[in-house]
Amino acid sequence: MEKVNKTESFSKIDIQSLALYIGAVLIFITFTILCGAYGKSFFTLDNMKNIINQSAVIAVIAIGQSIVILTGGIDLSVGSIVGFVGIAGGLLLKSGMPLMMVIGVVIICGCIIGFANGYFVSFGKVPAFIVTLGSMQIIHGLTMVLNTGRPVSGFPSELRMVVSAKIMGIPISIIYVFLLYAIMITVMKKTTLGRWIYAIGGNANAAKLAGVKTKQIEMLAYVFGGLFASIGGIFLLSRLSYADPNAGMGYELDVIAAVVIGGIALSGGKGSIGNTLVGSLILGMLKCGLQILNVPVYFQTIIIGITIIVAVYLDKAKERKAE
Amino acid sequence: MKKVTFYTLASCFLIFNLILCSVPAFAKEKIVIGFVPMTLNNEYFITMVNGARQKAKELGVDLEVQAADQHASAAAQLTIIENMITAGVDGICIVPSSSEGLVSALERCKASNVPIINLDTKINKEVLDEVGMEVPFYGTDNYAGAAEAGKYVLKHFDKGAKTAILTGIKGQQNAADRRNGFYDQVKDHVNVVAEQSANWEVDQGYTATQNILSANPDLQLIFASNDGMAIGALRAVEEAEKKGQVKIIGFDAISEALNLVENGDMLGTVAQYPAEMGIKGVENITKKINGEKVEMHINTGAKLITKDNVKEHKDYSKQFAD
Repeated sequence: MEKVNKTESFSKIDIQSLALYIGAVLIFITFTILCGAYGKSFFTLDNMKNIINQSAVIAVIAIGQSIVILTGGIDLSVGSIVGFVGIAGGLLLKSGMPLMMVIGVVIICGCIIGFANGYFVSFGKVPAFIVTLGSMQIIHGLTMVLNTGRPVSGFPSELRMVVSAKIMGIPISIIYVFLLYAIMITVMKKTTLGRWIYAIGGNANAAKLAGVKTKQIEMLAYVFGGLFASIGGIFLLSRLSYADPNAGMGYELDVIAAVVIGGIALSGGKGSIGNTLVGSLILGMLKCGLQILNVPVYFQTIIIGITIIVAVYLDKAKERKAE
Repeated sequence: MKKVTFYTLASCFLIFNLILCSVPAFAKEKIVIGFVPMTLNNEYFITMVNGARQKAKELGVDLEVQAADQHASAAAQLTIIENMITAGVDGICIVPSSSEGLVSALERCKASNVPIINLDTKINKEVLDEVGMEVPFYGTDNYAGAAEAGKYVLKHFDKGAKTAILTGIKGQQNAADRRNGFYDQVKDHVNVVAEQSANWEVDQGYTATQNILSANPDLQLIFASNDGMAIGALRAVEEAEKKGQVKIIGFDAISEALNLVENGDMLGTVAQYPAEMGIKGVENITKKINGEKVEMHINTGAKLITKDNVKEHKDYSKQFAD
């Protein structure tokens, strides 16, 4: 009996994901052909590394956002956390704190912010949209206050090595991305915690009756949101070797786009984290390919906007059919 | 399977879009120049790009223009430069989003041997030293531009005239330069009674001016660090029915401000020459790609536009308008 259920759910996930993968591959082929026609290179090993590298920040933040959205919530504060991590981390580095300690401190800061978000959402019963809309403003304001709105620069070269170091020719940022995804996919698929997160998003009341500590789990989801946002912030700080208080502005929307393209329902409970990576890479591929083709910037945003809607439209095909 | 067909359709749509808006194919032996303004959502950068486009056409080189979609950010510019290098540009002209934010991008260019010319906003010397590059800079400085406005005020306003200054975003270098350029000229001559940041915004210029006017009803002059704030200030002055009494000077010479100067609603606006930056940038990066020597610094100048010379300036600007 159990076995039957397992294969059933397995094949279901497969068909849903399959459409996404085919879409990703088709976009990829499109760019390869078009760039080829214009005498530019898209499908080269270097450019593949380039695309993953450029998508790394969004992809990592999207892990936390996926978990939050799976519980049926949303986290708008992730972009502001990226800016905060940059300035706070930058100032700490400048004050002479060792790099590893700085990374530890800002990750803890991210978790605390996530904890506060989660507390007000789960125990305070304030809608997630409102809590994180507020904390987004608070964090952005704090970031401005920290260094009176000025950027921080002039970092030691070891900072850049955090994401730019190479292992056998592969940029380490790519390894981080795959590693973090591998860990979280395992957590979501194999552990009780993962099943509980899905359960809350699917039907919170039923989950509660089944003995799930819904409030604690929901709060934990936002801690993940803050954790991965701060890791994303470190990635960006290291990639640029420059901290800008306005960095990360608007990233929350890119991240949510990556999650929904990956097929996680905004209502929660449905979708897989692994596909969020595909969603992030689709976004990265679009931005890179369109820039290589020298498509004017406003057409780029139009095409990306269309992609988001089309992806979710396709995802809902089954629901439309059911009606 | 139905979904699969949908995705195919979606991709076809994408291909259609791409073909619609891609530039025509180019021959590989032609020189390709990457041009990166901060953004493309204000007239200043659009004028710069139009100047660059005209020069590129004249020289027979290809110009690829890419910018961040809304906010100028170091992250977006790094991505653009990486992708331009992948696309195989031969040289890049860039207006950095900030003076110190391009370390990683410059490293990339250095590693790929792509020459760079810096326009409009100067990259910090420390940053260039860190990367170990020498980059030519063509632009004007905001300090000198604002000083032009200050000199005019020295000549045309009485000693002790009550003056207000509207500044840009606190902490930004260009905001400080414009404020100081004006202030250092006039500080011993006029009486600066108010100084407020209106963050470059029209609406904030409007409210700030309302507040300043109620505190200083006998105000005579407002220097706004950009035309947006100047236009906001003008609305407030009109509402207070003090148009004859309070004169306004703006900065940037956007077309709306030039119209207002022509009508006499604004006293003047400081013009910089973004098109010149684009022209000189493209001209010299082409030389650099061909292995010729180029000038390390060109001052493209700044001038106060008043009723006397507004017509002339409008005619000049017309050739770089869309």
